[in-house]
Amino acid sequence: MAKTSILNKIYNSGPLILLYYLCISEVDTNLENIFEIFTLNFQIILIYFWVLKRPEIMANGHIFLAGLINDVVMGFPLGISSLSYLIIIFVGTYVRNKSVNTTIASDWFTFFMAMIFSNILFFSLLNNFSDLSFTYSKIGYNMFFTLFMFPVFWFLFNIYLMTFVGTRDA
Amino acid sequence: MSVSRDDFSIAFRSALLQRGGAQKFSVLSLIFLALIIFFLDVYGVKFTKPVRGFINDVVYRVTFLASTPTRFFPQASKDLSNYFNVIEENKRLRAEIEKFKSLELNVEFLQDENKNLQKILETEYFNKNLSNILLAKVLVDKNSPFLKSIVINKGTRAGVLKGMPVTKDNYLIGRVVETNYLSSRVLLLNDLNSRIPVTLDEGTQAILSGSGTTNPILEYLPEDYEIIEDLNIFASGKDGIFTPGTPIGKTNDQGDIELFVDPNQLSFVTVNLNLLKKEGL
Repeated sequence: MAKTSILNKIYNSGPLILLYYLCISEVDTNLENIFEIFTLNFQIILIYFWVLKRPEIMANGHIFLAGLINDVVMGFPLGISSLSYLIIIFVGTYVRNKSVNTTIASDWFTFFMAMIFSNILFFSLLNNFSDLSFTYSKIGYNMFFTLFMFPVFWFLFNIYLMTFVGTRDA
Repeated sequence: MSVSRDDFSIAFRSALLQRGGAQKFSVLSLIFLALIIFFLDVYGVKFTKPVRGFINDVVYRVTFLASTPTRFFPQASKDLSNYFNVIEENKRLRAEIEKFKSLELNVEFLQDENKNLQKILETEYFNKNLSNILLAKVLVDKNSPFLKSIVINKGTRAGVLKGMPVTKDNYLIGRVVETNYLSSRVLLLNDLNSRIPVTLDEGTQAILSGSGTTNPILEYLPEDYEIIEDLNIFASGKDGIFTPGTPIGKTNDQGDIELFVDPNQLSFVTVNLNLLKKEGL
């Protein structure tokens, strides 16, 4: 019984550990070496999915902290990634409050909205309050591939959810 | 109608203020906290710089440790393949040694000639600066679509200052843009924010600008200037930061610059402490 409980705890912590690891390690989802324009923001897919499906295993405080770590590692002004992730949480929680049944199509659409709000805030703050410059085409590619890859990760996370975590939907 | 508006406001408020269970903090409070941290960091209030420096040092070390597995497996497979190729490599190296032995005689003569020519040109002899070159290990090399930078394990304690040029095998790779006590961030030449004055083979002056891709580009060339392939690019040193004549890369058939050092394959680099220190910056 105790063993099952420990295993459950480990499975439940999986997404959070993955988020922290992605933020703090050199592992990145900037796959320009494979395909010149292929970059995606995996963190926001991860956060959105789990906030939507099982918010209790993705605590806001942890996401905030992961954002701060991401800023330090990437060299962005502190707090900017946290703000961007918090916008994702906000949209995800709002959608969760408003909807009874969700499908991959509805999740995909609402994820698009969340990503738009989050990126607008992220890049407008970066543009106005830092010396960093960036190309809009890169932002476009990044958003496109993040959106494009969402269903793939949605299925993978769903398998993880069904197999290891278990759903609580009625 | 009013019911729908109520629904909206309830869901909206709940999303912002909801707490309880695993959620110890509401989204709204964390947004405020993030905004405060952001503006403190951006406007650089007196106490934030050392705090940020300390956080950077700690996080960079943890990142280095956390990335060990990702570095170990590619290195292990490389070592394994090297092991199996060792006989072939031995033969090749023997042949190379013979070749270099024959070239060795010419080197001394060329060194003297080079010294004399540099005296005539009144530029500094590069080897004079060797005592001011600091070897540093790359701690973090996280690729980002928006920023091309690395973090090295030497900071202000070792005498690294903002703006110092960074090289690998005497090829320029970037400059220091952020210093902490135990670590520094180096902006690579291919970053979108990087601009340095350069000289082409035949003496033409230009600015090397990072394009955000692997290969930087040349800007502010003379009017009607056509870039031809295989032109060598050197730092001109006109900014007083980079050593004049430090090789950077060469032009390719598309008109952009292929760097001599692949910015994605850096493990050890050298920081040139000389120039900025001399000016007392």
